[in-house]
Amino acid sequence: MKFNRRTLTTLTLATALSAAFPVLAAEPIKIGVDGPFTGGSSSMGVSMRDGVRLAVDEINKAGGVLGRQLALVERDDESKNERGVQIAQELINKEKVVAAVGYINTGVSLAAHRFFQEAKIPVMNNVATGSLVTHQFDDQPENYIFRNAAHDSIQAPMIVEEAITRRKYKKVAILADSTNYGQLGRADLEKALELKGVKAVTVEKFNIKDVDMTAQLLKAKEAGAEVVLTYGIGPELAQIANGMTKLGWKVPMIGSWTLSMANFIDNAGPGGEGARMPQTFVQEPTTPKRQSFIINYLKTFNPKNARIDSPVSAAQGYDSIYLLAAAIKQAGSTDGPKIKAALEDLKTPVEGVVTTYNKPFSAKDHEAITANIPVFGEVKGQKVVYAYAEDQKVASQVRVKDVNAKGALTVKK
Amino acid sequence: MLAIVSTAMQILTQLVFSGIALGMIYAVIAFGYQLTFATSDTLNFGQGDALMLGALVGLTLVGLGVNYWLMIPIVCIFGAVQGAFVERIGVRPAIKIKSEFGWIMSTIALGIIFKNVAENVWGRDDLKFPSPLPESPLHFLGANVLPMEILVVVGAVAMMLAVEVFNRKSIYGRAVVATFNDRDAAKLMGINTGLVITFSYALSSMSAAFAGVLIAPLTLTGATMGAVLGLKAFAVAIIGGLTSGMGIILGGIILGIAETTTGFYLSTGYKDVPGLVLLLIVLAVKPAGLFGKMAIKKV
Repeated sequence: MKFNRRTLTTLTLATALSAAFPVLAAEPIKIGVDGPFTGGSSSMGVSMRDGVRLAVDEINKAGGVLGRQLALVERDDESKNERGVQIAQELINKEKVVAAVGYINTGVSLAAHRFFQEAKIPVMNNVATGSLVTHQFDDQPENYIFRNAAHDSIQAPMIVEEAITRRKYKKVAILADSTNYGQLGRADLEKALELKGVKAVTVEKFNIKDVDMTAQLLKAKEAGAEVVLTYGIGPELAQIANGMTKLGWKVPMIGSWTLSMANFIDNAGPGGEGARMPQTFVQEPTTPKRQSFIINYLKTFNPKNARIDSPVSAAQGYDSIYLLAAAIKQAGSTDGPKIKAALEDLKTPVEGVVTTYNKPFSAKDHEAITANIPVFGEVKGQKVVYAYAEDQKVASQVRVKDVNAKGALTVKK
Repeated sequence: MLAIVSTAMQILTQLVFSGIALGMIYAVIAFGYQLTFATSDTLNFGQGDALMLGALVGLTLVGLGVNYWLMIPIVCIFGAVQGAFVERIGVRPAIKIKSEFGWIMSTIALGIIFKNVAENVWGRDDLKFPSPLPESPLHFLGANVLPMEILVVVGAVAMMLAVEVFNRKSIYGRAVVATFNDRDAAKLMGINTGLVITFSYALSSMSAAFAGVLIAPLTLTGATMGAVLGLKAFAVAIIGGLTSGMGIILGGIILGIAETTTGFYLSTGYKDVPGLVLLLIVLAVKPAGLFGKMAIKKV
């Protein structure tokens, strides 16, 4: 080893540090956090990260897990698949994380997860909703990918149920963006419509950063659509709402949970009012646990107008850490296969913000959220509230996982 | 039957109007490419980023309580300074050593730097730019038009006219034209061609910054807004011809209408294709652009 000034400084620092903290045995448990903290998906990524930070902070204050503190290694994937791949490799090989949480974009998830699968390191996917995410490795004996977000095979039928059954619309248009997320969601919507014997009157595409939606909306209008079903992210969804205002053609928007993103609500303004979407969490203090979560979140991160940018992401981010911590504790180890085995057979229920997780996973089932858990949210007065008063009334009764819940599409790889 | 025809007409009118509005957005950015090409045979590939900076500076000023109309001149001054900076740092050294491609890399690099700076200052989320005009649409010939869209068209045409008049009537403008015609001859005639080129960059970024605040209420504002728009504007500049003001406007309108009509009549999945096919055809058949020649005659 060449001895230069830099190594000397490092050595001095290391000596000083080890003198200050003599208990080197209790080094922290490293958990990777991956999400888009910048760009069009950032309101989800940042809210998720903040939820994660909040949970880690609480756990560390209470003494950590296995007597060790949790340490986060946060990385910004910028919603880019190739960044997600680099980060996965960095987290696994360089940072040597014990597990990872996060992933907002389905495309990034699908690209990055296989590295964790190969390294036998569990991932708690807490926001990405593509149906395929937990089924990518169905042909392998073990699957290290878990999820505590409402996947598209739940969301798409919910959206269709709301449009066709509850609100009795007959002619629906689908507008989806051209990303993995939008197009997989579009396929799920078409499948769910088919089960109701309905065919969309028109199915249109748009690109990220498109500034004009005239053609798409005119096609929907000409086809006589009574409602527009959407699968996209905030900024472009806002352009759809703005485009409707421009054309003077206003039909309800019902779509995936991204209609609750702050950058949709803010950029669409009055045009976005009334949009409805499935939500696993609405920013309302309906249980003591949710109340303390909201209060702590607002106190710690102080978001604009006391509105969490993406309440769903924050809540799911928070819960993902508690699920993981419970599994590490039960496994008594930070060994990947042992954590995975513990997750598949969690003995004690975990009280989260979204729900109380009682045996959330099994060897065959890696989805914590079932069709009975999400409710419909609606944009009202520039924030998301319960769309149905009866849902709000019973919100204090936590909806728990029901494997027999009807409404989900079956996922085939 | 008549009813069907009239709704079909209405749709076409709506598509054409939206196409024109979209095309003028492209044209007003493409105009900036033309300005620098006219004096120095170089292009500012950071044009989209100049536009983005203008829009974000404008948004900050509006946030500070400055009136939209008062904010415009301030943003224009900012744009001019930014453009002069780009020329001094990125383009002049390349022109000096007669490098063929140096300016391409340096303007792209500066554009990326500006984008990164903007990401750090304003974040990377898309922000809403408050509209100075009412956001409810006007009805015109059976189609709907936003007041803001009319402002973009009027503002873009007014700006281009102002620059054209300046170039043709004022002594400074003639210096610009002379520099374009023959840089060395102009230099021998006592024109400070270096200054003229700096000036043209300032003017070009100024027009981009102005375009930024003009279109921001329609497009959402953010550090990444310039990338796609700058690229489409480049296509417009090629289609219309880099030497023709008229060509830029028509090129923009052609591309805009091609996008909206293809989206409606063909498929929204292919809406960007016809414009790019047109670009390829123009490059193959008439590399100077559809209206390239005409402008040379005018001068």
